[in-house]
Amino acid sequence: MTASAEQPSGTIYDIGYRRYDGPRLGRRGAVGAIVGAGLRAVFGLGRSARSKILPWGGVGLALAPAVIAVAIRVLVGDLVELYSYENYLWGIGALFTIFIAAQAPELVVNDMRHRVLPLYFSRPIRRVDYVLAKLTALAAGLLALTLLPVLVLFAGRVLAAEDVLGALGDEIGALPGIIGNGVIHAIALASLGLAISALAARRAYAAGAVLGVFLIGGVVSAIFAESGGGLVDVAPFLNPLATLDGAREWLFGGSIAESPVAQSNLPLWTYGAGTAVLVLGSWAILALRYRRVTT
Amino acid sequence: MALISTRALTKRYPGGVTALDGLSVEIEPGVIGLVGANGAGKSTLLKILLGLLPATTGEAHVFDLDTATHGARIRELVGYMPEHDCLPPDVSATEFVSHMARVSGLPAGAARERTADVLRHVGLYEERYRPIGGYSTGMKQRVKLAQALVHDPRVLFLDEPTNGLDPAGRDEMLALIERIGKEFGIAVIVASHLLGEIERVAGWLVAIDAGRLLRTASVSSFTERTGMLLVETDEPADALAERLVARGIDARADGRIVVADLATGGDGEFTVYDAVRDEAVALRLALVRIEQRRHQLEDLFRAGGGNDRFG
Repeated sequence: MTASAEQPSGTIYDIGYRRYDGPRLGRRGAVGAIVGAGLRAVFGLGRSARSKILPWGGVGLALAPAVIAVAIRVLVGDLVELYSYENYLWGIGALFTIFIAAQAPELVVNDMRHRVLPLYFSRPIRRVDYVLAKLTALAAGLLALTLLPVLVLFAGRVLAAEDVLGALGDEIGALPGIIGNGVIHAIALASLGLAISALAARRAYAAGAVLGVFLIGGVVSAIFAESGGGLVDVAPFLNPLATLDGAREWLFGGSIAESPVAQSNLPLWTYGAGTAVLVLGSWAILALRYRRVTT
Repeated sequence: MALISTRALTKRYPGGVTALDGLSVEIEPGVIGLVGANGAGKSTLLKILLGLLPATTGEAHVFDLDTATHGARIRELVGYMPEHDCLPPDVSATEFVSHMARVSGLPAGAARERTADVLRHVGLYEERYRPIGGYSTGMKQRVKLAQALVHDPRVLFLDEPTNGLDPAGRDEMLALIERIGKEFGIAVIVASHLLGEIERVAGWLVAIDAGRLLRTASVSSFTERTGMLLVETDEPADALAERLVARGIDARADGRIVVADLATGGDGEFTVYDAVRDEAVALRLALVRIEQRRHQLEDLFRAGGGNDRFG
């Protein structure tokens, strides 16, 4: 590149190669960059309008019951109690399935399929950093569905009350359960969704596999729960959302009639153990899958 | 300080394939050609140097850093362009290269700036905002090079960078590599099975074959005059070679070509030339060409046990 005649002289166009002497943020910076890019992918930011429909639609639908519940409370007071802190996540469980089926494959499938991973692994991160960064991105994105709506419900119930401070005193005890349950749901669902997606060769297959696991598990679990007999104890473990609901009840209390957990005779701690197996199993799948990636 | 040094480096893959077999080599900065046939162990060596693969035995250092223990630090200083396709189709070159800069540890602002710089250096302009999926092979190779260069590495590992390129694309890629080595002042290790290309850009050659070091030397030392006289005649030259040997000259025939060692057959400066002239006349042979031969890079492999897999 050279300066053309009509340009004023003295302007340098090709400044040659410039070295970089600035800061290098190492592993921490690299992981932060992957999490940031992952979050953008989860919410379709910087992508076409079409890729925003599912994530934002999901967040909107997840928030709707909380907004409606708060509106009803403002209009008619305590007469109708549609959603409680306990049954909220169970009530919107189908949205998690759709959100994960649509967004988890975005995070991992293309890097694997198009062999981008060697470019990541030839940089100052380790394989486990990559996987943890992707998990963090998906879990953080899921918090918009598993935590944010319940927090909105909480805030609405406090602020809609005539005695705000008194209401805060009444409701504040539920806060650890709301946060704990939301975080556990986010981590467990992100782990499972990512593990399933990491095994798929294409995004569509990954989405199908996620839907299959959740929908078939949900249907079979519901049938078993209604069947009576010994199968009722198996039912909550076939549907990840039911297992998580059992863990919620074990940790924070509050039974839900619609959950298969209500029909089962097993002690509640078994659901805590089931959730742990779900998460650790997913991590094991991820570890094995990414160890096998050749660079 | 050597750029790279390996000692008795051996890599056996599960299943029994030995990719590197006791390789010991010291490499100084510059543009270095790592040459060998497909499967000679070039890619395996690069991956061990990046700390991506553990060596079975032996050790390797990059900038005096042990690859077994300082992989992450080494990878900060190295830019790596793999042989295979490695680009996601649905993002633009700008987006991808800038993301890779950040994964190398650059802050967001610096990543953006250097991405713009580097894409310009590799010759990607307006198209850099379009998704990579629509790029030609040549453009994709440029993006692969750009992502290796974007964090200002001290050394580049390029694995078969001209793979899949047409002749014009090859020339441009080689010119770019030469420029990176000479103008940018970045050491470059180019792994290739194409000696003719490497010869054009590299100052130093490391030749490996079946995981062993065959030879390492400057490119110029390979292309010096050899002291061999090449004589081509218009019919089979066995009789000429026999007569030269009878005069005490080390000569051998290969079809219509005789190669004679100029240092044999007597002390005179033109002994061999005179002998060729006299014997050609005696045999009534027509001489097509007489020239002093230069070493060719292929000799490197012939001398080391000989194979003709290079071209």
